[in-house]
Amino acid sequence: MTSNSRLPLIIGVAVLAILPFVVGNAYLQHMLVLWAIYALLALSLNMIVGYLGELTFGHAAFFGIGAYTSAILSMNYGMPVWLGPFAAAIVAGFFGAVIGYVALRIVGPQFAILTLGFGSILYTITNYWVDLTRGPMGISGIPPFSLPGLDIDFTRADRMYYVALIALLLVAYGCHALMSSRTGRAFIAVRENAPLAASTGIDVFHTKLLGFTIATALAGVGGALYGHYLRVITPDLMNLQYVAALIIMVIVGGKGTIIGPIIGAGIYVALLEALRVVGSLRLVVFAALLTLCVIFLPGGLVSLWRRYAGRGAAGGAA
Amino acid sequence: MDFIVFGQQIINGLVNGMGYVLIATGLTLVFGVLRIVNFAHGEFYMLGAFLTYYALTLFGVDYLVSALLATVAVAALGIGANKFFFRPLRREHEFTILLSSLGLSLLIANGAEEIFGADPKYVMSPYADEAMELGPFVVTEQRIIVFVAAAVVMAGVYWFIRYTRMGKMMQATAQNPEGAALTGINTDFVHGYTFALACGLAALAGALVGPTAMLFPTVGAWAVLKGFIVVVMGGLGSVTGALLGGLLLGVVESLGGGYISLGFKDAIGYAIIIAVLLWRPQGLFSVSRSSR
Repeated sequence: MTSNSRLPLIIGVAVLAILPFVVGNAYLQHMLVLWAIYALLALSLNMIVGYLGELTFGHAAFFGIGAYTSAILSMNYGMPVWLGPFAAAIVAGFFGAVIGYVALRIVGPQFAILTLGFGSILYTITNYWVDLTRGPMGISGIPPFSLPGLDIDFTRADRMYYVALIALLLVAYGCHALMSSRTGRAFIAVRENAPLAASTGIDVFHTKLLGFTIATALAGVGGALYGHYLRVITPDLMNLQYVAALIIMVIVGGKGTIIGPIIGAGIYVALLEALRVVGSLRLVVFAALLTLCVIFLPGGLVSLWRRYAGRGAAGGAA
Repeated sequence: MDFIVFGQQIINGLVNGMGYVLIATGLTLVFGVLRIVNFAHGEFYMLGAFLTYYALTLFGVDYLVSALLATVAVAALGIGANKFFFRPLRREHEFTILLSSLGLSLLIANGAEEIFGADPKYVMSPYADEAMELGPFVVTEQRIIVFVAAAVVMAGVYWFIRYTRMGKMMQATAQNPEGAALTGINTDFVHGYTFALACGLAALAGALVGPTAMLFPTVGAWAVLKGFIVVVMGGLGSVTGALLGGLLLGVVESLGGGYISLGFKDAIGYAIIIAVLLWRPQGLFSVSRSSR
């Protein structure tokens, strides 16, 4: 990364860091927390959709697994809450590795259907294993996030925002580092042309499995943060509705980029709030937005900026 | 084991399965001819059921006429859907097309919830409560209508694809779109026609199966899942596979729900897809298709 592209990044992070003070309003701060968590989740889905080039309909199940893991371990087994996201990553990543090991042998639409099947089974189990998950009633009274030795009240949105923001920035940096590495380039090679990638010595299956496992582990982290923030979780977290929301964020923002899903999550949260007056009609708006982007703007909103900047720089590298 | 209960489960399974067959046939046709995995297929089922409901309750049209009207109306809608959501993407990656169908599905499902309201509806078919006794077994007339109508429609679809000019054009387009276009087939027209036919079949399924349960605008997600399971079992693109797969799923679900657990009834279907996709990704009933 060159020094002149680092400046906007530093400014961007600085703006994000002071945002809760700027907005001042507890409700808007709550929206900011949701944005940061959704952005983290969208980045995790982007790993599969944007970098591996496969569509998955099962991603919300791993989000749910993360939320349940952290909630159950901290409530029933006395695990310190700050360990929750790590435990969630391990458990969700484990499920992701097992399911990926089975499902990634198949590509294209069949893979999407297969992940839908796995997601639905995990949902059904969560819904019916009442002894562990309390079934459709969900788990309430989840302890808020806490850090050892520090007396910070993370039920307040302006505090929790920094936890979520730091997690988001770490994940975003991790994605950037990964995609600049040999492994990341292997992801892209597999996405663009799997047989050609295989002929250059890339192990296509294990490359995909690695990406899928990382993505599902990150979804688990998002789930843990979400659970400890909202403090109530139900099996509905694993619904297709959440998958659709995450897909909308990734596609509208711009798949295969790091800033795209983060912007997409911002647009989603902002529209959710701005369109509150029209009630459930906003879901129609989201669907229309997704469809319009798929048909007219396949690169997402990020590609608009790139198109514009590319023209400004007279065909400079986009 | 109680023979009567067992037989009743099998009959219920076959009747439910015939509904699945109707849903899956359109899905498999669209995949075979257009190469589209249409996530929005279930929404046309939902529209078929709702249009039947409105024709029946608001305008007092006879139930069977309502069902036909709904089928035709949804088929016409299908032409438009194909034109706006799939035709512009004909040359795009399957990934993009699947996303477009997801968008269409969300659009119709959420739009329907706006227009029809989220409260459950009940299609008052005059046949829904009339029980018929077949020896020791009991079946409602509605379910018999589903079974018979689906059987007739399936025979019709099979005959249509096999023997009519349009059906042969569909087969040609499915096998090799470029080759078909070279022989003078208007593949664009064939695509639109197939899509409309598939939507009509989904709507007919909704109109017939709708009265056997409460109707919600979200029923499309259920329908498309069942359709996917059947199509994966039978092999994507195979009409005979859809018939056998649908009946098998119906029976397996009915027995599983009766003897294992009603709650996990839906999970049985997903377990089937996973097993089939891993063990025989080409489908249970397809005989060694040419390898891709």
